[in-house]
Amino acid sequence: MTDIFMGFFLATLIISLFTTRLFRLYSWYALNSLFLGMIAMSVSFDINDNEMLVVGVITIIIKFLIIPFVLRDITLKFNLQRSIPLSIENHFLVIVVPLILAFTFYLIEPISSMYLQSNYVTIAVSSLFLSLLLIMEHKTVSSKVLGFLFIENSLFLLAISATKGMPMIIELGIFVDLMMFIVVINLLFKPQEEQ
Amino acid sequence: MYFVFLPSLIIIILSFFKINRIIMSFVATTVIFPAIYLFFNHMHNDYFMVDNLNAFVLLVSSVVAVGVSISMISLPSRLGLDDKQIKHFYLFFGIFFLGLTLSILSNNMGLYWIGLEFATLSTVYMIKIKYSTFAHNESWKYLIVGAIAISLILFGIILIYSATKPILHEEAMDFYSLIENANAINGYLFEIGFFLVATGMFIKMGFFPMNLWIADIERSAIYQVGALFSGILESAILLGFFRLSQVEKVVNNAHLITFTYVYGLLTLFMVSFLIYRAKDYMRLFSLSGIEHMSLIVIFWVSGGYFAALLHFAAHAFIKPALFLSTAVLESHRKYNFRGTLKGIGRTPALLISMLLLAIISLPPSPMFFSEIYGFKAMIESATLSQHFILMVGVVFFIMLLLSIVFYKFITIYQESLYEEGQPSHIYRSEILMLCIFLVATLTLIFPPVLQAIEGIMS
Repeated sequence: MTDIFMGFFLATLIISLFTTRLFRLYSWYALNSLFLGMIAMSVSFDINDNEMLVVGVITIIIKFLIIPFVLRDITLKFNLQRSIPLSIENHFLVIVVPLILAFTFYLIEPISSMYLQSNYVTIAVSSLFLSLLLIMEHKTVSSKVLGFLFIENSLFLLAISATKGMPMIIELGIFVDLMMFIVVINLLFKPQEEQ
Repeated sequence: MYFVFLPSLIIIILSFFKINRIIMSFVATTVIFPAIYLFFNHMHNDYFMVDNLNAFVLLVSSVVAVGVSISMISLPSRLGLDDKQIKHFYLFFGIFFLGLTLSILSNNMGLYWIGLEFATLSTVYMIKIKYSTFAHNESWKYLIVGAIAISLILFGIILIYSATKPILHEEAMDFYSLIENANAINGYLFEIGFFLVATGMFIKMGFFPMNLWIADIERSAIYQVGALFSGILESAILLGFFRLSQVEKVVNNAHLITFTYVYGLLTLFMVSFLIYRAKDYMRLFSLSGIEHMSLIVIFWVSGGYFAALLHFAAHAFIKPALFLSTAVLESHRKYNFRGTLKGIGRTPALLISMLLLAIISLPPSPMFFSEIYGFKAMIESATLSQHFILMVGVVFFIMLLLSIVFYKFITIYQESLYEEGQPSHIYRSEILMLCIFLVATLTLIFPPVLQAIEGIMS
C-alpha cells in the first residue's frame, strides 16, 4: 500500500510542476499532503508505531485541510495574481524531470544497502530536487511559497523513509513552525495601508 | 534553567498591551541573570544541555539583547515609528529571542532547528517594520532564501539522524551523544548530512555566493535588525556549526578542513572586494560581519578554539554597536561617509571611533589578539603535515585580503572625522548602549576573562 501512496505522492508533485493556475497548485499541494499523511499512517501500521500514526493524522488535518484553505483565503483577501506562468517551457520540463529522477537513483546507489526500502529514500530526495525546481521555474511569490511547502513535505517523507520517523516532539515543533510560516506569509501579503 | 525563557515570554505578552519602552528594556535586561547563573551552573538532560560552550554563547547573546533593547528606547523618535509598529517589533523581538535561546540551549538537533526556524520567521516581519518597497521586497527575498537555507539544514539533520540512529537509537538526535560516540558513526552518510547542514548555515550567514543578499536585507531593514542578526542570530548558527564540526573532526578532519577553508577563503576573497566598493555604512558593516564569520569558522576548524571564541565574542559586541550607531551616522543621508563623525559631539564620536577601529583589529582590540592566535593555530595545525607551505601561503593570502578591508575602513574613518559634516543629535539611550557594548568589549582583554575563554574547550 505504501508503494502506491509513494507513487501518488511523486505524481502530484510532478503534475504541480506543470501547473499554471494558483488554485490548482493549492489542490495538488493538498493531495500531495494527503498522500504524505497516508504514507505515514501506512508505515506506522507496518512498524507498529503509534507516534507516527498520530503524526500522519496531524499531517492530514494541517496540510490537507487547514493550510490549502488558509492559502486560498489569503489569495482571495489580497487579490493575488492567479495565473502563475512558468519560466521553463513545458518541453524542457519533460526532459528535466526524468533526468532529476534518474540522477537521484544514481546518487542514492552508494547508500542503498543501508535501507530496506532505499527506493523510498530516492523518491524523497528526488521530491526535494523537484520542489526546488518548482521554486526556480515560477516567477510569482505565491507559487514560490508553495515550493517551500513542497520542500517541507519532501523532508517529512525523507524523515519517514530514512529514519522511520523523527521523535514526536520534533515533528510537533515542525508543525508549529509551519503554522508560524503561514502567519508570517499572511502578514507579508498585507498591504501597507492595512498595517 | 527555564527562567532564561521568562524575559522573552514576558516581552511577548507585554507587546499586546500599551508599550512602555523603559519597562520593556528593563525586562530584556533581566535575561542577563539566568545567563550568568547558567554560566556557572551546568546541566544536561534529553532536550537541553548547558556546558561551557553554550553558556558562553548565551551570556554573549544576552549582553547583545540588553544593548539592543536599550537602543529601542529612542526607536520611535529616531525612525519615526508609530505605536503599532513598535508593538509588532517587540512581539517579534520576543519570539526571536525565545527561538534563539531554545537553539542555544538545546541538546537536540531537532530542537535546535525549531528554534532557528522560529528566529528566521520572526526576523522576516521585523525587516519590513518600517515599510518601504525595498524593505517589502527584501523581506520576501529573506523568507524564500532563508527558508531554503533552513530546509537544507533540516535535510542534513535528517541524514545525520539516519546515519547515527542504528548506533545511538533514540539518542541519535543529541549533540552530547553524537560528540561522545563520534568514532562509531557511519562516515559517508554523516558527512553528506554535515556538509548540507554547514552549507545551509553558511547561506544564512551570508557566505559566498549570498554575500550581497544579506547586505541588502540589512540595508533595507531598521538598524536593530542588523544588530540582532550579527549579535545573536549568527551566534546561534555558529554554535550549531561548532558542535557538529567537533563530530566531523573525528569522522574525517581532512574533509572538514578542505570544505571550510575553500568556502571561507572564497567568501573572504569576494567580501574584501565588496567592502572596498561599499558606499554606505550598513552594507560596509554587514559585509564586514561576513568577513569575521569566515575567519571564525576557519580558526575553529584549525583547532584555534580560543581564537575563534574570542573573535566571536568581540564581533558579537562590536558589530551590533556599530549597526545601532549607524542610525546616528546616517541621520542626514544614507549614502554618505563624509563628516558623519564630526557633527555628533566629542564623546559619541570617540565611542564610535573606538568601535570602528576595534572592528579592524587595531590593538588593543580583542580582535587583534584573536587574529594573532588564530593564525598561530592555523600554522600549528599544518606543522606536522605535508601542507605547511600551503598553510603559510593561506595565512598570507588572508592577511592580504584583510589589509584591503583595513585600508577601506581607515579611509572611511578619516573621511568621516576630518571632513565637514552636518550636526546630528544623539539620544541618551544610544550613548548608554554604546557604553555597554564598549565596556563588554574591553572586558574581553582582561587576563581572567581571557583565561576563562581559553578554558571553555579544554
